[in-house]
Amino acid sequence: MLTLIYRGIVALVLIVVGWNLFVPEKNADEKLSVKDTICMQLNAALVLIPLVLRLLMIK
Amino acid sequence: MDKSKKMISAVVCLALSVAVMAASASSFLAARNVPLPERGPSVTEVKMLSDWFEGVKGTNADTPVYVLQGKKEGGKMLILGGTHANEVSGYMSAFTFIENAVVEEGTVYVLPYANHSAMTHNDPGEGNIQYFTLTTKSGERTFRYGSRATNPVDQWPDPDVYVHYPSGQQLSGSETRNINRSYPGRPDGNATEKEAYGIMELIRSEGVNIGFDLHEASPEYPVIDATVAHQSSMDVASVGCMNLLMEGMQMSLEQSPTNFHGLTHREWGDNSDINVAILMETANASQGRLRGATTIAQVLGGKDKCYDLSEKLGMLYVPWNQITGAPFSGVGHPIEERCGRHLEGIKQYSEAYNEAHPEAPVTYTGVPGYSELFLEADPSELGGARLASFLL
Repeated sequence: MLTLIYRGIVALVLIVVGWNLFVPEKNADEKLSVKDTICMQLNAALVLIPLVLRLLMIK
Repeated sequence: MDKSKKMISAVVCLALSVAVMAASASSFLAARNVPLPERGPSVTEVKMLSDWFEGVKGTNADTPVYVLQGKKEGGKMLILGGTHANEVSGYMSAFTFIENAVVEEGTVYVLPYANHSAMTHNDPGEGNIQYFTLTTKSGERTFRYGSRATNPVDQWPDPDVYVHYPSGQQLSGSETRNINRSYPGRPDGNATEKEAYGIMELIRSEGVNIGFDLHEASPEYPVIDATVAHQSSMDVASVGCMNLLMEGMQMSLEQSPTNFHGLTHREWGDNSDINVAILMETANASQGRLRGATTIAQVLGGKDKCYDLSEKLGMLYVPWNQITGAPFSGVGHPIEERCGRHLEGIKQYSEAYNEAHPEAPVTYTGVPGYSELFLEADPSELGGARLASFLL
């Protein structure tokens, strides 16, 4: 049961992080610089790593 | 940044992330493939611990048992390496025994990895190395450096307090994954307790007469270059210890404390008919808190500048730069000295056992001892090369 709940949480976080990678700005006025955009995307990509690797430890 | 460029940068970031995941995952999963000894001249079969206790079958607690059958019937001897998988001379001595011994009388059971699960991970937070290689008779072989305790993938979470079965002794919760606090184990316990129970079943069902548990400890630990024996084994252990001293090898002897439960030297004697239960410790710089950077040279070579200084400050329980009886100095405690101690110890204690129990002897030849591995070595060979020359 705990494994199912954990997998559910990981799936939800993966969806949110994945969305954060690709989502456009909320408003047309909200313009992020190239540097800020790449920084946010790298953050999202880095967050994915331990989440996915943690799945290897579930038996 | 326009949409298409954003998409491209997102895909690139994701690809980098996947590449890191793939590299990390493959390294993590590769640790589960543990290298095994080659079959030596007396190895008649390689069984699994589950042949004695089904409860570990199909789990990481199951571990290979090398059976070395002698030409004549006799007694039964058990050797455990890898009880703590970061204690290199424990399992490397087991490897050396398996790959060299010619058993004349009796049967020898050798577990190179008493805690197999512990070998499938280690402690990067301690700066542990992952692997080391030796050039043996058959070429380059890679060996693992494991952890002291069962892999948390196999047993998790740790309790706050570990209550030993059946004594009720309480220890720190992290000790629940230490097989040398888990004996005699139980069939329905956690992974570590099941593995300990399996080893007890092997001892009981095969009628093992003499057992050895091979360990290492940090040079600042008081029980070092030492033997600990069950009180019923002290007669044999005393004779063996005197013989070791006459061979030029410093060894102290302690009786297993009756109120410290879970260890081999206590529980094997209390829970089976084993005649002799012995644990041996050698000095390992890579386990100590006073060490410098943990490197392969330190693990195999046993040299460390921080320990050179610690010796001058009087903080160690073993000689560091001049080992008693050694014809050379400044070599630290290389793997040859540590394995030589274990293998010479097994030889002398088993000979003392044979004198006391001529009705069930265990005799063997072909295994290098302290002199052959260490005292007669050229110092330039120490640190792995000399040991490797005895491996297949």
